[in-house]
Amino acid sequence: MAAVDYLLHESSVGYAIFEVVHQADTVGNRLKEVQDAAQDLSKFGKMVKLVNFAPWRDAAEALENTNLVSEGVLSDYLKSNLELNLPKTSKKKKIVLGVSDKNLAGSIKASFDGVDCETGETSEIVADLLRGIRYHAPKLLKGLQEGDVERAQLGLGHAYSRAKVKFSVQKNDNHII
Amino acid sequence: RGGGAKGGAKTIVEPHRHAGIFVARGKEDMLVTKNMAPGESVYGEKRISVENAPTTNEDGTTSATKTEYRVWNPFRSKLAAGVLGGLDEIFIKPGSKVLYIGAASGTSVSHVADIVGPTGTVFAVEFSHRSGRDLINMATHRTNVIPIIEDARHPLRYRMLVSMVDVIFADVAQPDQARIVGLNAHLFLKVGGGVVVSIKANCIDSTAPAEQVFAREVQKMREERIKPLEQLTLEPFERDHCIVAGRYVRSMS
Repeated sequence: MAAVDYLLHESSVGYAIFEVVHQADTVGNRLKEVQDAAQDLSKFGKMVKLVNFAPWRDAAEALENTNLVSEGVLSDYLKSNLELNLPKTSKKKKIVLGVSDKNLAGSIKASFDGVDCETGETSEIVADLLRGIRYHAPKLLKGLQEGDVERAQLGLGHAYSRAKVKFSVQKNDNHII
Repeated sequence: RGGGAKGGAKTIVEPHRHAGIFVARGKEDMLVTKNMAPGESVYGEKRISVENAPTTNEDGTTSATKTEYRVWNPFRSKLAAGVLGGLDEIFIKPGSKVLYIGAASGTSVSHVADIVGPTGTVFAVEFSHRSGRDLINMATHRTNVIPIIEDARHPLRYRMLVSMVDVIFADVAQPDQARIVGLNAHLFLKVGGGVVVSIKANCIDSTAPAEQVFAREVQKMREERIKPLEQLTLEPFERDHCIVAGRYVRSMS
């Protein structure tokens, strides 16, 4: 299976791109020791390296990007960030980017020739690395204060949910079938 | 005058075995949680105010403070029914981060928010827009609740709004609920985190006997790498319901 070179983490505070320095192999991935190491920042911090963290510039941008990410669409802001921070690639020399969502992975592959995507579904290693980043995100992302992620989640959660309820075409319920 | 809860002065509130939950001992005992937004009821539930022991100020005067509790009705909340039924471990305690799937109008969520308190967070996921409106309104008074109006079958859609959590509580009453819980656990639940699922037998399979349905659901949870710890029926509060508590063991193969 292909090795992962970079990881994309989307969060309530912005986009972050990580470089994978060291990755566990597939065989040992489900071992207890490997799983425990991911929860230990001193060990996990050696596995990934922050390349770039692009925070939202304002609340409107945050909401717009959240909506696009949840639909699996590549936003202009994310596109320019990937262009700037991933190394130059060509059809011959490809790099592998780990993404959470397969729809977003499709959108990225369509826009970047030299980028291949692995998702959490296709590779358990990617899933585990992304879990580790989510676990340690407040510490890994540079320039964040304690509680920033939570505050951003609260604001974004309200904005996102209100928009859902407000712009619903049918005024009544979604029936789950 | 009816109602056993009247005459607040005589009521004594004691901590429950589970941290963050309290028992009000009056004419009859009631399960209560400490109100995060004093002075307000969420769904018309009774509130009990208890005077704390007076504290002496710097200038020698004493000031009495009051703590307000809200009554938690086990007939309306399956988690409360589970607590009264004697669940050993609910994983939800002060400071916990909880992913609450199937939040509905947020009545039970408000009590979970009381339990985790200001240092905890409740990510409340609900798909229905109608109850979602009530949920958002409830969340405006409790800043530790993050409302998420989205389908829990597609947890990736709300991945930007959720951090890693300590507990997943699910009350979705869907045939594929074990799968829904699994999907969310693989993305958001810490290794060794708690899972508490309420199962309504009729919603999974109305043709098989309840016991059989429960056993099958527990097996499905095992396949999602959740190690079941205990199973409890919710009699006499609900019929053919059970609540299952387990632990997420990601390294299990």
